[in-house]
Amino acid sequence: MSWRPKAAVSTMEARADLLETLRSFFKNRDSLEIDVPTIAKVPVSDPWIDSLTVTDPYGKQVGFLLSSPEPYLKRCLAELNRPIHSIGHAYRGNEMGKVHIPEFSIIEWYRPMKSGQIDAMVIELTALVCELTQFGKPKVVEYRTLFEDAFGLNPHQTTEHELAQLVGDTISLNTTSNLDSSMLLDLIFVNHIQPSLNCHLVLDFPFAQAALSRVGENDSGDQVAKRVELYLSGVEIANGYDELVDVNEQRQRFENDRLKRVSLHRPDVDVDEEMLFALTAGLPSSYGVALGIDRLLMAVLEKNSLIPCMTFMDI
Amino acid sequence: MASYSTSEFKTGLKVLIDGDPCTITENEFVKPGKGQAFNRVKIKNLKTGRLNEKTFKSGESIEAADVIDLDMEFLYADSDFYHFIVTDGSFEQHAADKNAVGDAVNWLKEQESYAVTLFNGVPLAVTPPNHIELEVIETDPGLKGDTAQGGSKPATLSTGAIVNVPLFIEVGETLRIDTRSAEYISRAGKK
Repeated sequence: MSWRPKAAVSTMEARADLLETLRSFFKNRDSLEIDVPTIAKVPVSDPWIDSLTVTDPYGKQVGFLLSSPEPYLKRCLAELNRPIHSIGHAYRGNEMGKVHIPEFSIIEWYRPMKSGQIDAMVIELTALVCELTQFGKPKVVEYRTLFEDAFGLNPHQTTEHELAQLVGDTISLNTTSNLDSSMLLDLIFVNHIQPSLNCHLVLDFPFAQAALSRVGENDSGDQVAKRVELYLSGVEIANGYDELVDVNEQRQRFENDRLKRVSLHRPDVDVDEEMLFALTAGLPSSYGVALGIDRLLMAVLEKNSLIPCMTFMDI
Repeated sequence: MASYSTSEFKTGLKVLIDGDPCTITENEFVKPGKGQAFNRVKIKNLKTGRLNEKTFKSGESIEAADVIDLDMEFLYADSDFYHFIVTDGSFEQHAADKNAVGDAVNWLKEQESYAVTLFNGVPLAVTPPNHIELEVIETDPGLKGDTAQGGSKPATLSTGAIVNVPLFIEVGETLRIDTRSAEYISRAGKK
């Protein structure tokens, strides 16, 4: 067991540079940095994310470690109605791998905007990639086009049966039970498409993967989630939403998440009422992006794992 | 029966797949932006040596295989089996068949120690030490004075294995051999 920092000095310096450049990037865009708490009253509702709990030494539960600063930032956004961002740490249980660690650095930003959120995100993320990395201009591509090019099928219209067949033919699964369309699409995307996304911005995700984004129509009339994802070297780096601001739809999605949790035998969660109150008070039409700083550092340093990028990793 | 969940997966874990003992050679945690996490696992079948990839939903479990590696000394061979004895003082003996011994048959020498993999108590594989010393029993006569460089010739060793050796090697000499590549390293004792 070594007490020493695990990362090379040059890696620590690269991380410091990256943080400094990120801060000035957003300062130059008139964004206000918000220092949010990392403990929240309720866990995230997303059925696939395990929030870590905070307890005192006597076993009393204090709260939950944030899985992203989103709830606090949205409450600030409703109050301030101006561009804001936060740089800090977020936490997710049961995620450990080459590009997953339980505690990670995240920058998340929001910008009020009446229309054209997706275009604005593409322009901003393109500037960010060009300014902060050696990758150059990302290629902009629709989720649907990636599937059409690889398999000649439209992911928004393909039946569950067809998807199951494609997965069955190309991926050796331990089980075939309980895989819905969204999981099947994920499996195909992760195994066959994502590895070739070297520097790409992917737009218009399947309807079922909307999370907290608005839903709209693409050019061919498919219902799609208004999201943008940035990939560098086959790794997802950032995730942007045309943010959902309708409080009723937001409450409905929270309830859907809770139902999904029950069906998956995952712990139930309380609904984030404060965030719903903020939406009631009025969240401006806006976009929001979350970016994994450790993954960005990993891409910049051309590593294929987060492990050498982390200064410490005792846990 | 013991089992492992995906969160316990790691390289070297011995698991049962379709009744066959396998070892995990690579475990990758995969999670799309939104949704179910998966473990993409590379698995080596310990019976056939074949490599496979398998994807598990995170949270799924897999049966553990009763597989252990033990150090054993080779005793002798009879017509069907190769007999080994555990070197931990228990004097427990195991008989490995030809399948289990595999290519290690080229490097079986009495009183030498081998890693024997047991599956449900039965030898599944035999791994020789990386380096072993064996006597030359047959080779063309050596060329006088040619100790510096150039050329090689086949030599048959006491185990029956044939390896390429330098021209100056004579019958009766003991050689150090790398069992992984079946290559001559040096004369024994010289190192």
